[in-house]
Amino acid sequence: MTMPATPSAIPLNRSPARRARSSADERLLYGACVLVPVAALLLFFLFPLATIVWRSLVEEAGGVGPGNYLALFRTPGILRAVTNSLAVGLATTAVCLVLGFMVAYAVQRTRMPGKRFVSAALSLPLLAPSLVLGLGLIFLLGRNGLVSNLLGTRINIYGFSGLLIANVLYALPQAVLIIQAALRHSDARYYDAAEVMGATRWQQFTGITLPNVKFGLLSAGFVVFTVTITDFGNAVTIGGDFTVLATEIYNQVTGQMKFGIGAAVGILLLLPTGVAVYIERVAAQRQFGTGSESALPPVPDHVPARDVPLFLATMALALSIVAVVATVVFASFVRLWPYRLDLTTKHYAITLSGGYEPLWTSLGVSVAAAGIGTALLFALAFGLRRLPAAVAKTVYLLAVLPVGVPGLVLGLSYIFAFNLAGSPLHVLYGSALLLALCNFYHYHTQGFLTMVTGMRAVPPALEEAATCLGGGAVRVLGDVVVPVMVPTLLSVFFFLFMRSMVTLSAVIFLVTPSVTLGAVSVMRLDEAGFVSQAAAFSTCIMAVVAAAALAMRGAVTLATRRTVS
Amino acid sequence: MDLQIRNLLKTFNGFVALDRINLTVGDGEFVCLLGPSGCGKTTLLRIVAGLLPYDSGELLMGGRDLGGVPARDRGFGIVFQSYSLFPNMTVAENIGYGMKIRHAPRERIAARVAELLDLIKLPQVADRHPWQLSGGQQQRVALARALAVDPSLILLDEPLSALDARVRADLRTEIRDVQRRLGIPTIMVTHDQEEALVLADKVVCMNHGLIEQVGTPQDLYLRPRTRFVADFMGSSNLLPTGWVREAMPHLMPSRPDGAEAAFDACVRPERVSVTPAPGAEGRVIDLTFLGNIRRLRLAWRGRELLAETHQDPGVAPGEAVDVSVAADACAWVRA
Ligand SMILES: Nc1ncnc2c1ncn2[C@@H]1O[C@H](COP(=O)(O)OP(=O)(O)O)[C@@H](O)[C@H]1O
Ligand SMILES: [Mg+2]
Repeated sequence: MTMPATPSAIPLNRSPARRARSSADERLLYGACVLVPVAALLLFFLFPLATIVWRSLVEEAGGVGPGNYLALFRTPGILRAVTNSLAVGLATTAVCLVLGFMVAYAVQRTRMPGKRFVSAALSLPLLAPSLVLGLGLIFLLGRNGLVSNLLGTRINIYGFSGLLIANVLYALPQAVLIIQAALRHSDARYYDAAEVMGATRWQQFTGITLPNVKFGLLSAGFVVFTVTITDFGNAVTIGGDFTVLATEIYNQVTGQMKFGIGAAVGILLLLPTGVAVYIERVAAQRQFGTGSESALPPVPDHVPARDVPLFLATMALALSIVAVVATVVFASFVRLWPYRLDLTTKHYAITLSGGYEPLWTSLGVSVAAAGIGTALLFALAFGLRRLPAAVAKTVYLLAVLPVGVPGLVLGLSYIFAFNLAGSPLHVLYGSALLLALCNFYHYHTQGFLTMVTGMRAVPPALEEAATCLGGGAVRVLGDVVVPVMVPTLLSVFFFLFMRSMVTLSAVIFLVTPSVTLGAVSVMRLDEAGFVSQAAAFSTCIMAVVAAAALAMRGAVTLATRRTVS
Repeated sequence: MDLQIRNLLKTFNGFVALDRINLTVGDGEFVCLLGPSGCGKTTLLRIVAGLLPYDSGELLMGGRDLGGVPARDRGFGIVFQSYSLFPNMTVAENIGYGMKIRHAPRERIAARVAELLDLIKLPQVADRHPWQLSGGQQQRVALARALAVDPSLILLDEPLSALDARVRADLRTEIRDVQRRLGIPTIMVTHDQEEALVLADKVVCMNHGLIEQVGTPQDLYLRPRTRFVADFMGSSNLLPTGWVREAMPHLMPSRPDGAEAAFDACVRPERVSVTPAPGAEGRVIDLTFLGNIRRLRLAWRGRELLAETHQDPGVAPGEAVDVSVAADACAWVRA
């Protein structure tokens, strides 16, 4: 070993004055990192929410009181909508749990072939606006659908049964993801121990597998219920006369201008989702509290008596999802579904005023939502680590609150908050920027949690090493935190982008004839009877989102390979 | 330059993590902070680095107060237990990072990096990324990175404890060599007493936020002042005064004055000599073969004693032995 010959390093000659300035700059940076996102949260989330609460208490006659809530009971449409929503919500939840567990178990715990196909098929509904599923079902099973045509009878798919199927197809992927995560969280040693003690397969299933996923099932159940009772797209497309809360609130507000009643329904919708979110979080903590770092994942074995039936059922399900989505794509290219099946692109000439304009607006809005959202969430997660624990906890709570507010309610609350003549915020109303912000805050929580998880994975030792080598806050940020966070930043960006491309429920209240979005166009085309054009427009949206999903996969893989071991 | 720590107090929400610590790290000195997990070693090191604020006391580097100097202006080098190389940079970029921050010219950085890679005996890894290195190599690079800016003090927080035994022993020697050559004062945290004995000029034995004893490795091993130090620095026989007075009266003259329960005698096992003698008082309870040494548990005058020998003592469990301890083999420790 040789002694370094040259005394080569340069000492840091920072004067005390410069030092004081740089540490003040640093405090400013951290302060801004937290303050800007929190101020935005207050303005674009908490403030609208407070406004909707307030508006629900302002009675039509002018006073303040529970008048709007009492009026709900006297509005027969609302009562019916509540029972309908509950019925379809509960039915969807039950079906989704059974099917979701089946698929998750088949993928996670068996050696059946075709798992990749099943996973891919199940991710399809996440790439499309919810109403695409309704649309596909109508193409297949509707009055002028393929099946009616082949059988020569007229099936009536509109109403409860159609809505149930569409909702199940839409919510199933989310249920599967949650249950699959719960199943993954087990430990092979439980099963080895049971095996040694002489437990049969069935005993192991009922004694270990089921108890271990019970919180996963609970949580999946609540997510499905919430998604279903607040979804708008399917209810509009395939609900027919079967009115549900989501459509009723839309009618009350945009049809009859009964803002007070709309606000009251919005508040009611907060209740079940609020409870659901709360229980889900408690459940999540318990679920993951038991998992240990060193858990060995169970290795599935091949049991024909179990795997073959599971394979058939899972494949049937996956194929029906593919069939529904593929039908939409196919129908968009045929002359007159299902009577004249010669191929044409004429439906891609959109006759609705504006044509493809809304698709471009959607793109712009989604890029803006993702860009603004990723920047704000990154700043928040970064600044949060420097806050005193008590303050950080409060900010954290505020940041996860949006998940408890359905898009429908958020969109409605934006009307109340930003459509006020005379208020300086009014300039935002009807702008694409407000749509972007609404979409961002709609999905704030999921993005925030991903960001926080990513930030936790930045080893503190890295930042400290950079600091000791003389790096200031900006250097630490640029040289250490951002490079490690690239995969997380990418996935948050694409998550917000994709959700923003397909969501309908929040923005439906905010679009104007001049600024409208792709998903809304699909709905308008469908309402106007141009189903094939609706299919064509949906296909375009799905193509964009699928391209984005592929781009994300590629980018994340690349970034992960570059930075992490 | 030397580092002086005076009356350093650190609390976490009322919990006293460092209780008025006083310590000097001399120029070129290698100091090991040794103690069980949770005793405050890392806390002390991080305060010295400037990564953690403290409640009261003074930190002086070459007489200059470090109180208002943020970590990044202290010019110290630090190496953590693991995962502290920047994953997005190559080995060369990692090592050159501190110089880049100081706006050193590119050629100079390159020359310095090459020099340090030689120093850590890894000249061929410059363009690799951290994940392409083994744990031991990563720690060498982390050391080189800390050395690149000619630090006035090197801080090492358990740099070897994530490595496996062989690599640990190699790297241990290497750290010592580099430090002796460069003569940079160094503080290293460890909970491994052997590591402290091998590396340190001065060992600081800590417990519950307090310094139990400061001294050379020999001091701490041969002349522990407290029961805790005696126990922590290898195994020992700790014998109460009353029993020593009866059984080994020749050890009593060296006992400091103090209440009966204030001091115990500490006798290292290798200072207990054992000779087979049929009909003698001592009895072998059991015998463990540990390679270079053999460890015996003995019953003698109503107590159990631990003895170690390098030669085969020629006894079997149950046999009678004679036990003796030289008068200078004992250190009296505060109980
Ligand atoms: N940030 C902190 N907040 C509260 N307590 C802490 C914190 N860091 C360390 N401690 C406590 O201070 C004590 C000393 O910790 P540390 O210096 O890490 O010990 P070690 O000697 O193992 O390195 C421990 O009891 C630990 O729980
Ligand atoms: Mg430590």
